[in-house]
Amino acid sequence: MVDYIRQMWTCRWFWYSLVRMDLRSRYRGSVLGMGWSLLNPIAMTVIFCTVFATLLNQDIRFYAPYVMAGLAVWNFLLHSTLDGCQCFLRAESYIRQYPAPMAIYPLRNTLSHGFHFCLAMGLVMVLSLALRGWPGVLPLLSVLAAMPMFLVSGWAVSAVFGLANIHFRDTRHLCEIGFQVLFYLTPIMYPVSLLAERGLGWLVSLNPVVPYLELIRQPMLESRVADPTVWMAVFLSTTLLALTAGLALRSREPKVILYL
Amino acid sequence: MARVLMEDVSLTFRVRQNQVITLKEFLVGQMFRRSVNPFMEVKALKEVSFEVTKGERIGILGHNGAGKSTLLKMLAGIYRPTSGKRTVDGKISSLFDIHLGFEPEANGWENIAYRSYLQGETPTTLKDKVQAIAEFTELGDFLNMPVRYYSAGMLVRLAFSIATAIDPEVLLVDEVLAAGDLSFQQKALKRMREMMNRAQLVIMVSHDLNSIRELCTRAIWMERGTVKQVGPVADVIRAYHDSVKAPVKAA
Repeated sequence: MVDYIRQMWTCRWFWYSLVRMDLRSRYRGSVLGMGWSLLNPIAMTVIFCTVFATLLNQDIRFYAPYVMAGLAVWNFLLHSTLDGCQCFLRAESYIRQYPAPMAIYPLRNTLSHGFHFCLAMGLVMVLSLALRGWPGVLPLLSVLAAMPMFLVSGWAVSAVFGLANIHFRDTRHLCEIGFQVLFYLTPIMYPVSLLAERGLGWLVSLNPVVPYLELIRQPMLESRVADPTVWMAVFLSTTLLALTAGLALRSREPKVILYL
Repeated sequence: MARVLMEDVSLTFRVRQNQVITLKEFLVGQMFRRSVNPFMEVKALKEVSFEVTKGERIGILGHNGAGKSTLLKMLAGIYRPTSGKRTVDGKISSLFDIHLGFEPEANGWENIAYRSYLQGETPTTLKDKVQAIAEFTELGDFLNMPVRYYSAGMLVRLAFSIATAIDPEVLLVDEVLAAGDLSFQQKALKRMREMMNRAQLVIMVSHDLNSIRELCTRAIWMERGTVKQVGPVADVIRAYHDSVKAPVKAA
């Protein structure tokens, strides 16, 4: 495995330049440039605040950063998965020519989305500062410390679904449907306590996305480092995903070329 | 120390008629045990064995579909053997499918960078080479345009220039000599010869028997996935030639 990572490091300029190219080509010829990627969470936050803040009886000063943070994390996980489904297919011409370690293709995918995630988090921080004040140095550092786990989780999910999509080309469609359903089961547009109040708290405890959301929302909104249980959950989840992705790559990587 | 050793290497593809399947199709197919999309086995390479040592230049020839490109891709590490052992010592540089792997929205300069990084260059090593690569293409101002506007010949010029700006130990070449217009072909042949002289070990596939005769020391004749003959280039070419001409003579 050390050899594999060393090979990934050897071709680092290659996948790094692919990430830059992805970001550049996305905004080539557009007026707002990087601003476009922020338009979605901003627009969604505005709409949710307008419609649901009053409906759910929420204070805007809490609800707006809550929704925006939730959407930032959600969009990262969603797009890492959906684009991850395509990551090996997009790289077909490279795979046919050069036996690079294939983990670099989900990595490229995750880093692009990671960049947008960081931009969105910047926005969340600005909103949170404006509406709730300074959260404190330690909570902010804890958000920073959580980033590597997000990136590893994103990479693992991209790799697993990318491999699955090679074999079954409708994986992406199934993922889209799955995420649609999951969105409503996940407390993004409604507060976490809402489901517990109605006896559906078990949905929250079983939902694997919730710890990721709480890891960001607790520091930003409650000015405290997130609960140890949340950290544990995200760490375990990340480790499990990384192991699965590692095993899947080890067994399926030689066969990828045969299914492209 | 460059070396290639193939010991009884076989490669079998299992190909479906319709390679793209959906989960639904897979599940339904399993449930009713009906196979509307059955596997076909393609034995691309059958127990191929040969050894190439430092300083040799090998040409691989044979009919279409004999397994030449597959063999080369296996040497490069793109396909893994189904059975047998493949040993390649030395840094592998390969020139095949050079028309693939362009980023269409990026311009010529950016593509030179991406392709070079794929080959293992770093920004520091590339800085010295990029002007030389650009000059070899003779594309001039076209390098500032996105490559999706290039003609096929321009793409080939660009790809060839980038691909040959390396210092190979083990060089694998697949049919890249028939590239571009006549003047470029002369340049390309000269560049290939220089590169082959710099490399420790060269294996090339070509249908142009004259190139193989000029550039190689030994030849391998592949037929239907097996090695039919290995030997000095003149002998193998003569044998291959005779086998192709024979039916015509008989008539």
